[in-house]
Amino acid sequence: MLAPKRMSRLLIAASRDRMAPVVAELYRHHLFHIEEFVEAGAEGYEGFKIGTPLSGASEASVDLVKIRAIENATSIHGDDIDSAKTSTRTELRSRIERELPVLEQEVEDLTIRRSKLDARLKENEQKIAEIAPFLTLPVDLDLYRGYSGFVVFAGYVAHEVALSVPCEMLYSPGKDKSFIVIVAPVGQRSEVERALQEAAFQSVPVPEENGSPQVRIDYYAAEISTMKTEIAEIHQKLETVRTKHSGFLVASEEFLRAEVEQTEAPLRFATTKQTFVAEGWVPTESVDAVTDALVKATGGKIYVTVLPIDFEHDNVPVEYNNPSFAKPTQVLIDVFSRPRYSEIDPTLMVSIVFPIFFGLILGDVGYGLILLAMAFGLRRFFKGEEGRQLLDVLRNASISSIIFGLLYSEFLGFPIPGLKPIMFSRHLMAEAAEEGGAVAGHGPMIPELMVLSIWIGILHITLGRILGIINHARQDHGDHRTKAVMANFGWLAVMWGILIAIWSIAVIPLMPNLTGLPSVVSLVNVGGVIGAVLVIVGVLFIARDSMLEVVELPSIISHVLSYARIVAVGLSSVAIAMVVNFIAIGMFIEPQLENFTIFSIFIILAGLVIFLMGHALNVALGILGGGLHSIRLHYVEFFTKFYKGGGVKYIPFGMKRRFTED
Amino acid sequence: MAAELVAAVDVGMTVEQIKASQMGMKALGAGIAVGLTGIGTGIAEMGIGSAAVGAVAENKDMFGLALLFTVIPETIVIFGLVVGLLLLFL
Repeated sequence: MLAPKRMSRLLIAASRDRMAPVVAELYRHHLFHIEEFVEAGAEGYEGFKIGTPLSGASEASVDLVKIRAIENATSIHGDDIDSAKTSTRTELRSRIERELPVLEQEVEDLTIRRSKLDARLKENEQKIAEIAPFLTLPVDLDLYRGYSGFVVFAGYVAHEVALSVPCEMLYSPGKDKSFIVIVAPVGQRSEVERALQEAAFQSVPVPEENGSPQVRIDYYAAEISTMKTEIAEIHQKLETVRTKHSGFLVASEEFLRAEVEQTEAPLRFATTKQTFVAEGWVPTESVDAVTDALVKATGGKIYVTVLPIDFEHDNVPVEYNNPSFAKPTQVLIDVFSRPRYSEIDPTLMVSIVFPIFFGLILGDVGYGLILLAMAFGLRRFFKGEEGRQLLDVLRNASISSIIFGLLYSEFLGFPIPGLKPIMFSRHLMAEAAEEGGAVAGHGPMIPELMVLSIWIGILHITLGRILGIINHARQDHGDHRTKAVMANFGWLAVMWGILIAIWSIAVIPLMPNLTGLPSVVSLVNVGGVIGAVLVIVGVLFIARDSMLEVVELPSIISHVLSYARIVAVGLSSVAIAMVVNFIAIGMFIEPQLENFTIFSIFIILAGLVIFLMGHALNVALGILGGGLHSIRLHYVEFFTKFYKGGGVKYIPFGMKRRFTED
Repeated sequence: MAAELVAAVDVGMTVEQIKASQMGMKALGAGIAVGLTGIGTGIAEMGIGSAAVGAVAENKDMFGLALLFTVIPETIVIFGLVVGLLLLFL
């Protein structure tokens, strides 16, 4: 919690003939994050060389490429298929040998035929497009060419052309441009050209066809439709391959990928003629298990040791270490950046605060229930891990939205009958609040809500700064460390100084009232003096760390005020919901119910459609508004106080097997 | 009150009319505050946003930072909203 998993740097050395069992064992454990060996300038590794792949690497790669090609052609994705560990290694190996060549041939033939048909289809469509302009003219296509004494002009013109020279002209007026064909003696060519140029002539090539244009077009259209049926047949066949073999294909892909990764692992090791050395990272808690397993696999002929970590140079891979309810939130942190090893991991805090912000913004029982249903309903379409995690985040957020909906007493923008808003009312119309039995005559309690959100901002930012102090105390050294810690303290002092000064001048609901303190000079009382001192001390601390930071001082106010978006965005969603309800029910449905006629049914239906569409839109906006603004408050206002990120992701050597057994 | 009465006599309006028109002015002010700051935010985010999309297209790891930069001007419109809400409800 609050810190990534502890890692240990492991060094493994053994003779080269033990490489295969060691690699297999590491792969099986799926714990060892390989630190890649780079030949140039590796300290202490003089004379070592990058290893060579184990036997069978190229065969496995070739088969893997084939399988991926088939999967591509039949659009099979492992992520879309439910995991089922059906096949054992030996079974798969023999099946790959036996079935893969046949399957590959079949799919290849189909795809080649398909692309040929596609090309011919395009050709035919092109031909139809070429003939189409001549369709309106009652002349066979072979009559347009093959003259030695005449020239033929065919093309589009902007307006009709009047020619003084003797010629044959066919003209078919169109909407924007008209089609024209002129046959003139060769000697008159230049006059005709000039006349045509005036009419903005665009030449169209005469197609190399015989017979009537309509007949030719019909012929090509018939060709196209037969090709289309053939292509559909091929798709059908590929679909059969897909349904029949998808299980086998994903299983063999996984199996072969495991093979390839294992056989190519030595490329990341340092080797000599007789030995190899692998360095990498293992979670500290698993060091013993991995070591024991390696010793066992090699019959004790191996050297495994834990190296000390050098925080200056080592890039320790980072694996989250969070309780299970906070795990989905990791995806939000990864979007920003993975924490560094020595840094506080904010996932746990975000996993608690993010849903609260979301609920404060979209506090509505109805919308919460819709989102909850979505979070469970969309599970069928998202089979990858990240999608699932996002849905879990949505689930937590929607539960919080329901809870805050009860507190605000809101259901699709209506007040919940008989339930007073326990928290401040957000109902925009005083009458609406009265109906729900809320505070009589009270509309939205904007000042209170606003102050509440500002309080949230103050506390959130204070937490961020405290975390910043901890991070700097942990990561930095010497003089810089003191300065950085003091600067963070300075930011806190300035913020609270401003607050105390404001409290000593003005009375604000829900905030301490310091105006009663003994006065010093006219308006300024003791509180004001304390505030001013805090601000000055704070600015000095900040300036001592970095002068440039002083220009950032206004950001204290803008960041705190930025939390007002919790109210603002929330109110806008309430307003949209109320407007939708008013239009749909107040303007369409209710008046019709009062004096009902047959015609009313349609108006009531229209009202229902408006109701559904409006609320669907508001749900979409709610996810965007609630989600994006909550996460932004974290990224911009919270993280900038303490979080840097940029840690290396922990990618253990091995894989989570979904379709094959170990 | 006295000032309102004087004003009412001056322009020939009742006190209720003046109050109503003051509410209208407040609403107009709130609308202008939100609208103009919204335009300001939009203009500011335009350049950052297009650059951010470019950066993310080059390197997906930039997403977090790019989003952060893009939403920085959003504070402007939030100020507008705060002013608007204060005008209307305080």
